[in-house]
Amino acid sequence: MSEGERRSFWQNLVRGFQDVVYGMASHDMTRYALRTRSSMEHLFILTTMGDLLGVPILPPYYSLRLLPYVVPQIATWKRRMLREKDLSDVLA
Amino acid sequence: MNTLFAVIIGVLTFYVGYRYYARRIDRDVIQADANRMTPARLYADGVDFVPTSRNVLYGYHFKSIAAAGPIVGAITAANLWGWLPALLWLVVGVCFIGWASDYSAIMLSVRNEGNSLSAMAHRLITPRSRTIFFVFIFFYLLLVAGAFANLVADVLNSQAQAPFGIIVLMAMGLLLGQMLYRWRVGLILATAITVGLTVVAVLLGPVPAISGIFRDGINAGVNSLSGGQPLYAVVNPMAQAPTNVLPSYIFWGLFALVFCYLGSVLPIWRWAQPVVYIGFWITAAAIVLGLLGAALAVVVRPELAAFNLPAVKAFDGGSGGAFQPIWPMLFVTIACGAISGWHALFGSVGTARQLEYETDALPVGGGSMFTEFLLGLLALLAVTVAGKGAGAPAFASGLGGFISIFGLPRPYAESLAFAAFVVIVLVVTQLIFRVMRVTLTEWLGESIPAFRNVHVATVVSLAIALLLMLSGTWIYLWQLFGGANQLMASLSLLVVTLWLVSSGRSATFVGIPMVFMYVTTMFANLVTAYNLYVTVFAPSVGKAGREMPVVGSALMIIVALLLIGAALVIGYDGLRAYRRYRRPEAGAPTRAPRPA
Repeated sequence: MSEGERRSFWQNLVRGFQDVVYGMASHDMTRYALRTRSSMEHLFILTTMGDLLGVPILPPYYSLRLLPYVVPQIATWKRRMLREKDLSDVLA
Repeated sequence: MNTLFAVIIGVLTFYVGYRYYARRIDRDVIQADANRMTPARLYADGVDFVPTSRNVLYGYHFKSIAAAGPIVGAITAANLWGWLPALLWLVVGVCFIGWASDYSAIMLSVRNEGNSLSAMAHRLITPRSRTIFFVFIFFYLLLVAGAFANLVADVLNSQAQAPFGIIVLMAMGLLLGQMLYRWRVGLILATAITVGLTVVAVLLGPVPAISGIFRDGINAGVNSLSGGQPLYAVVNPMAQAPTNVLPSYIFWGLFALVFCYLGSVLPIWRWAQPVVYIGFWITAAAIVLGLLGAALAVVVRPELAAFNLPAVKAFDGGSGGAFQPIWPMLFVTIACGAISGWHALFGSVGTARQLEYETDALPVGGGSMFTEFLLGLLALLAVTVAGKGAGAPAFASGLGGFISIFGLPRPYAESLAFAAFVVIVLVVTQLIFRVMRVTLTEWLGESIPAFRNVHVATVVSLAIALLLMLSGTWIYLWQLFGGANQLMASLSLLVVTLWLVSSGRSATFVGIPMVFMYVTTMFANLVTAYNLYVTVFAPSVGKAGREMPVVGSALMIIVALLLIGAALVIGYDGLRAYRRYRRPEAGAPTRAPRPA
């Protein structure tokens, strides 16, 4: 095993260990932060693009102005809103 | 027999089971394919479906499934039947059933667009099987909350060195949340301060000036309210006489429930998550040091490596009229270290949706289960070398001995072991109440609007668990929890079996464990209901001062019968579904229906 390969092996080992520790200690917190951000974004979409669901909250003029910024998120938003959910989803 | 030999058995089990059985199933039956799209890559919504490194997922999955279950189960079983039956069930269970349950539930979800087990049961069996799944989940949560709260109250009440560390942990949880999310302090600095102070507090626990405050100050003061007399007695089938309940036990029980109340109602970043985070470092340190100590003890301190518990105590571990045959009771007493329904449930909704490649499912799901087996083995070793005492004190004594090999004086090492035990139980219990609160809101919020209020839903959950904690008989509570958990596991294996049969593949590796676990758990629940009636309900009913055991045993018998009834219904539906997929009639679907 060359010096480079050996260093790479140890680097991978340390990196793997760091990932495992992160997974145990902090991955949950990261997921929760992502969920919170996502909920806020979805609330924003509902407020601005409520027309899509038949809930006109904002005057259409402002909705149209914001439309280009919201378009990239609409597919994810729809999928998340329409995905079948049940009680066991609360566990994750 | 000594600890090194047991550790070698554990490592060999891990290697042989994983290398020669699990990998073969993964390759030949499930045919995991790294090129096939997983839900995480397909949907990639950046929230629930996120492709994640398998190392991170391994840590995440292991931490989510490894709680107090493997520890308490192994301790209880060793005290009832001896260490050998417990060790054999751990080894056989994890090799042939446990990993298969966890791994297959993850793969089922991965191959079915990230759907949960309950959604798959709805699709593959009958719509009502989803409802039955929820019944299992609710009673699982309720029973585990009652059993764990009981454990915590007992340790805090009887071990004066334990409460100080837990109180400081509460304060540090609040401080960590504030530092991370409000003051924006870096994670490493915040971790160093809060974890460091908590560890110092844990180690200071045995100092007489501190432990005296709890033993002679708080406990004695609270007990003086009743003049030092017990408030009532609960039936303890493991002892010759009933166990007296003192006011200090109720005080610490309420303390544990206040902890859980805060975990349920405060924003998760403010309390629950920081406490779990700090607790992780304490338990991880104790477990890693304990495992290393168990392996090194033979060389460094041979007196700490010798087994002091008989290999086989009895084939019927019951006493006082209770019936505790090895089969089926061992198989529900030790749940999580060998097989657990919770793992499958969590794997299908949490881990499966983050799997980047199908080929990661085995190291993540199977690997975590084998690692949890090692945790169960450590608990078994700790209680076996301790020899005397029961439950948490024996575990802490044994684990403290292993940790003391690294130079930490024995009282402080035992204090760390006690803290690890209480923390691992308490942080899980607070999360359980959080889930129970949401479950109650979802179930009853429509018909009873008051349940939409977080405080009402939490207090009702706490009140039911408190009733179980104060009136229930611990050993039966634990075995009933194991029964609910194992029935959930057999249900998960049933769903996977039907999925494999419906797609024309061999289902032997999950089908045989499913039948074994289903039959075993049904009988175990019957035995528990019988034991409750014979040893608690019948001798107590109509007697003055025995109202609490009567209420507790009646409640638990009803739960046991409810679980049996629910399992019979789902077993019947499962059998019909199996016949439908196996020998389809003309016009009947030959494959499981696809999602809409």
